[in-house]
Amino acid sequence: MIKFHPSEEHLFHYVTGDLSPAMLMMVGTHVDMCSQCQEQVREMEQLLANKMFGQEEVPEEFALSDASFDGDEMLARIMAQAPDRHEAPRLQQAANELILEGKRFQLPGTLARNQHRIGAWHKVVGKMWRASVDVGGDDVLTFIYMDKNTRVPEHTHKGREATMVINGVFNDETAEYRDGDFVFLDSTVKHTPETRDEDCLTLAALDAPMHFTSGLSRLLNPFSSLFFK
Amino acid sequence: MSSAQPDDPDHAAALLALVATEQSRTAFSELFNYFAPRLKTYATRQFGNEQTAMDLVQETMTNVWNKAHLFKPDRGSASTWIFTIARNIRFDFLRKNKHRQHDLSADELWPVLAEQNDSLDDDYALDDDLLMQQLAGYCEVLPKAQRVVIELIYVEGKSQQEVADALGIPLGTVKSRTRLALQKLRELINSDD
Repeated sequence: MIKFHPSEEHLFHYVTGDLSPAMLMMVGTHVDMCSQCQEQVREMEQLLANKMFGQEEVPEEFALSDASFDGDEMLARIMAQAPDRHEAPRLQQAANELILEGKRFQLPGTLARNQHRIGAWHKVVGKMWRASVDVGGDDVLTFIYMDKNTRVPEHTHKGREATMVINGVFNDETAEYRDGDFVFLDSTVKHTPETRDEDCLTLAALDAPMHFTSGLSRLLNPFSSLFFK
Repeated sequence: MSSAQPDDPDHAAALLALVATEQSRTAFSELFNYFAPRLKTYATRQFGNEQTAMDLVQETMTNVWNKAHLFKPDRGSASTWIFTIARNIRFDFLRKNKHRQHDLSADELWPVLAEQNDSLDDDYALDDDLLMQQLAGYCEVLPKAQRVVIELIYVEGKSQQEVADALGIPLGTVKSRTRLALQKLRELINSDD
C-alpha cells in the first residue's frame, strides 16, 4: 500500500506537462505504480478537457466564420489523407527490466519507455550505486541503488529533492518508504536515509547539490557533484 | 444524430467510432467544427502566436482523423482523449523551440497514441507457442542422440555437464551433439522461409 504521494499540484502539473523533465518522470513513474493517483490524473484530465471544450459558445473572434481561421480549408486538407491504421508505435514490452548487481528490477512504464536514457552505473560510496537518467532540463534525474544496511550520510539539499522507491525499502528519521512511495523534501529538512535488511532501488530528482551536514561526511560535500552528471 | 452535440460524451464517442470504422467525413466534420475552434482558443492563449496555435489545431485534428481507432471509450471521454493529444503536441512544440536533442518527448511520458494493445502479452505467448510447436516438429527430425541432448538442455534446463553425467558420456560429446543439433535446426528453420 503506497503511503506517500506527490502533491495535488505536482499531479496537476504532470497532467498539463508543466514540470521539469526530471519531475515529470518522477511523477509519471509514481502514477504508473499508484492506482489512486491514476484515478486522480484521469479526473484532472477530464476537468481540463471540460474546461477547454465545455464552453457553450466559442468567443466570436475564434468562430469558424472568422476570416483568420480557415476551418473549411483545414478540414479538407486533413480529410484528404487516408487514415493510416498501422503506423502507431506499439508500446515496447520487452525492454522493461533493469539488471543490477545480478538482480532484476521491473521498470514501470514511464521508465521502461525511457530506458535508452539510463546511463552507466557508478559506485558512489560504500554500497551505494547511481546511474543518471538523461532527460534534459536543468535538474538531475538519477537512480540510486542502496544495498542492504547502507546509510547515506545526513544531508540537506540546497534546493529540493524528490525521491521515490522503485523497489525495496528505506528508512529515514521520520518514516519507512516502500515501493511507489514518493517524498518531496526541501532545504529545511535534514535526513539520513538508510536501508536495513532489504536493498532499495530509488529514483531521485535533485534541483541542487546535496549538502552533507554531519561530522566527517561534510568531507563529502566537495564530492556532492558525484550525485550529478 | 441531429439533436445531440459533440459536447455530449456519448455522441462524441459515437462520432469517433464512425471515423474509425467508416472514415465518415460527416462525423469528422461535426467533430472538427466543435473541437477545432475551441482548440484554437486554448492554443492561442497558450502560445500567444496565431501560426503556432493553428499548427496545434491542425496537428491535433489530424491525429483525431488518423488515429480515431486508438480511442478507447472505456478509458475516458472523447474530449479527454482529444485534450491529451493536444497536451502532447503542445509539450513537443514547447521543446522543439529550444532545439534540444535529448529532451523527453511527449510520447515517452504519455503514450496517448501508442497501440495500447491489452492482449500484447497474449500475442507474444501465442507466438511463443507456435514457435515451440514448430521447433518440437523440427526436433523430431534430429538423430535420436542429438534430440535427447537438446531436450535435456532446452526443455529440462540441465547444464551440459549435467547432461554428460546423466547420459554417462564425455562433456565434449555433449557439446558437439548440441552444436550439430543447433546447426541442423537452423538449417531446417531457414529452409522453411
